[in-house]
Amino acid sequence: MKKKLLIAILLLPLLAAVIGLVVLYHLPLDLEDRAPSQPIAFSHRQHVGEMAIDCRFCHRSVDVSAIAGIPDVDLCRACHLFIAVDRPEITRLAEFWQQNQPIPWERLYRIPDHTYFPHMMHLNAGLECGGCHGAVETMAVTRRVVATKMGWCLNCHREHGASIDCWTCHR
Amino acid sequence: MKRRTFLQLSGMAAAGSALAGCRKGNEKLIPFLVPPEDGATPGIADWYASACRQCPAGCGILVKVSAGRARKVEGNPRHPINRGKLCPRGQSLVQELYHPDRLRTPLKRSGPRGSGQFVQISWEEALATLADRLRPLAPGDAGKSAVLWTPPLQGYLAELVARFGQGVGRLQHLAWEPFAPEWRRQSLYGHQGLIDYDIENTQYLVSFGADFIDSHLSPVRFNYAFGRMRQERPTVRGRFTYVGPRLSLTAASADRWLPARPGTEWTIAMAMAKRLLPQVEPRVLAAAGLDTAELARLTEPYSVAVVAELTGVRATDIEAAVAKLVAIRPALVIAGEMLVAQRNGPEALRAVELLNLLLGSVNTPGGVYLTRPEAPGNDSSLAELQQTLATLQAGNCDLLLLQGVNPTYNLPPGFGFTEALAQVPLVVSCATFLDDTVRFADLVLPDHANLESWGEAIPSAGARGHTVGLLQGVVKPLHDSRSFPDLLIALAQTLGGATGAAVSEKSFLEGLQQRHAAGNPARWNELLAQGGIFPAEAAPPEPLRQVSLGRPELPPAADADPDFPLQLQIYPSSAFHDGHGAALPWLQQLPDPMTTAVWGSWLEINPQTAARLGIAHGDLVEVGSAAGTVQLPAFLYPGIRPEVVATPLGQGHQGLGRYADGRGVNPLQLSSAPEGGGGFPVPGTIPVRVRRLSEAGELVTAGHPEGSYRRELLGI
Ligand code: SF4
Repeated sequence: MKKKLLIAILLLPLLAAVIGLVVLYHLPLDLEDRAPSQPIAFSHRQHVGEMAIDCRFCHRSVDVSAIAGIPDVDLCRACHLFIAVDRPEITRLAEFWQQNQPIPWERLYRIPDHTYFPHMMHLNAGLECGGCHGAVETMAVTRRVVATKMGWCLNCHREHGASIDCWTCHR
Repeated sequence: MKRRTFLQLSGMAAAGSALAGCRKGNEKLIPFLVPPEDGATPGIADWYASACRQCPAGCGILVKVSAGRARKVEGNPRHPINRGKLCPRGQSLVQELYHPDRLRTPLKRSGPRGSGQFVQISWEEALATLADRLRPLAPGDAGKSAVLWTPPLQGYLAELVARFGQGVGRLQHLAWEPFAPEWRRQSLYGHQGLIDYDIENTQYLVSFGADFIDSHLSPVRFNYAFGRMRQERPTVRGRFTYVGPRLSLTAASADRWLPARPGTEWTIAMAMAKRLLPQVEPRVLAAAGLDTAELARLTEPYSVAVVAELTGVRATDIEAAVAKLVAIRPALVIAGEMLVAQRNGPEALRAVELLNLLLGSVNTPGGVYLTRPEAPGNDSSLAELQQTLATLQAGNCDLLLLQGVNPTYNLPPGFGFTEALAQVPLVVSCATFLDDTVRFADLVLPDHANLESWGEAIPSAGARGHTVGLLQGVVKPLHDSRSFPDLLIALAQTLGGATGAAVSEKSFLEGLQQRHAAGNPARWNELLAQGGIFPAEAAPPEPLRQVSLGRPELPPAADADPDFPLQLQIYPSSAFHDGHGAALPWLQQLPDPMTTAVWGSWLEINPQTAARLGIAHGDLVEVGSAAGTVQLPAFLYPGIRPEVVATPLGQGHQGLGRYADGRGVNPLQLSSAPEGGGGFPVPGTIPVRVRRLSEAGELVTAGHPEGSYRRELLGI
């Protein structure tokens, strides 16, 4: 009897682990790195917080296109030809430029396939960048503050009285 | 630590490590180094008009370009040929552009010929090598010659090549590719003008081996017209009969399929002519140089009963088709490649086309329209091809310059192209991909992809006026390639002298602009935006003049050769056309419309014949002819005559890159002598025998219960 109980106790965690893994497999978990280290340690705190540069100065197409746009290397360089040229991170920037290589940034936010998310519509509807992206002006290392899952989209759409028709996003 | 705590902790650790294993790497965000000059906004696309030159139809396309990248191809609604529609080959143009096996720089052979070993060289070196070979060809000097082999060219490019050839001297231009509309030279209509079938306005359509939905002349145009013929008119639904031994997609779209023995289709046309003849006024025939009494004598033997016997089609079915053709107007008859490729093809073609004359359907609504072309086509005939090959074989050619053709693949071994190649000291190939032929070149010059090229696409069918589609380079060339015309211009500049004087334009684009909108940039932009020069109204049709008929021969009896009792029909596949689409994975994955087969070749065989030979669906069979054997999976297909088997052309490449190599077989290996009807290199049917080898045919079809999941068979 006691032996059986012992075996049962030993097997239970194993069973739990298996069930756990199966559940994990089916749950829509957020598995991507939220604050990956970037090829250049770019600080939003410094640029947005301290220097008070407007988001649109770098993310230039955010209010006209679905895609906010990542600044081209030429744009980074335009300022850093003169500013902080001897900092190690800026030297790295210069190296990318000299080698004719774009900077392979780690992506933080990804909209799932078959989903349409237009940045400009959200901005033109009066939403703030920080509403989704968090207080980037305080982030030395930029981190993702939300998991871009359908439930999150729907909540916000309901809150603001925006359409929750399938075709609004899945088109 | 208590045991319980230990177990809890170890469980958590296990779950934690499992979770860490699930963590995905983030994607990358790659910005521009420097943004494009035209100020492209990420996420916002521009649409540029251009044209497709994957087949001679010349459809107009619109290409979605964002951030300097071509992303999607659609049909151009303003183009009169395809009116916004497009076939899968046109859709796949983006895959040609981004193909991983594209040639990126000029290459020079470093190993033995055919070994595929090349080293990169500069354009300067490539041009210098080529110029050194071209210089001694100057007119006046005695000596060997050079051959330039391209597909049939049109418009400005044809004219540029002619000027270049004259400048160089002894440079012979061969303009030949399989399935080029060159076969229409055999036509009753007598000239190589523009041809258009007014399918949308006809009431009764009969096709003799013209697979106008699959591949015939201008498939997108005729598909569109066919849809309108069937459904666009409020009160009539046009009727359609197909004559031919195999149920193609076109035949499957017909109301009636008359599966005539291959080579006898024309006798049905004779039965029709016989019944139509009494309705026709003799002066109509006299105007075309035909004699009514003579025609009556010619058609006399072909009563429905006799024709039923000859063709193996039920007499009632033939009678129904004949009766409809006699009663319904307007009616239209189309003859196509599958008929013309027969040994009696040219005569059979004319016998079938005679019906349009008898029906009064030449240059009338619902009939066939003929228009004189702006400039004559420069396509070479099969005889000219054979002459050129003889010149090569005799060692009388110092240089072979190939562009856009793949004769190693497209000519049966009997033509001796490989042997001819061995006699040429320098073989130069201008191509987008390494392919079966480019492999044997000494010098390889990368060509622009369709979406990077400037040029013209001038349809030779499906239009009723001079139509010029303009090809626009919608993206900056991705690699260090040069378009073929710009290569000729650069060569002429290197050569100088007579050639330099003959070809004096700075670039092809500049010449193109000069030709269509000299000194008027606004007009040029307008032409580019709409996709070309489209006639506002139809040109006056070209009347039929004197025609000559000829008398078709009957094919030998089906069982004439006991060693090879079956007839193999090779048809152009709807995805790959003559084979050059096989490099593109989208087209490989495109299910064949009749069998749903993907990524391979197959042999269509009638279930009756299969049962007799002990062959089951999916078995591996050997198809043998006098020339050789190939192995194919069997596809039991009720839509084919019992004595006929069929296989598509397009697969079985060697050297066409990762997606095409080693898939399926090239059935042209089964053709022995360089003989075919009507200008085709392969006869319409080849006598073969079929034998079962094993059950491991490894046929992959999208319609299979396991479908495309059988990826282990595809190896991708
Ligand atoms: S029919 Fe020919 S020209 Fe038209 S889209 Fe298809 S391949 Fe291109």
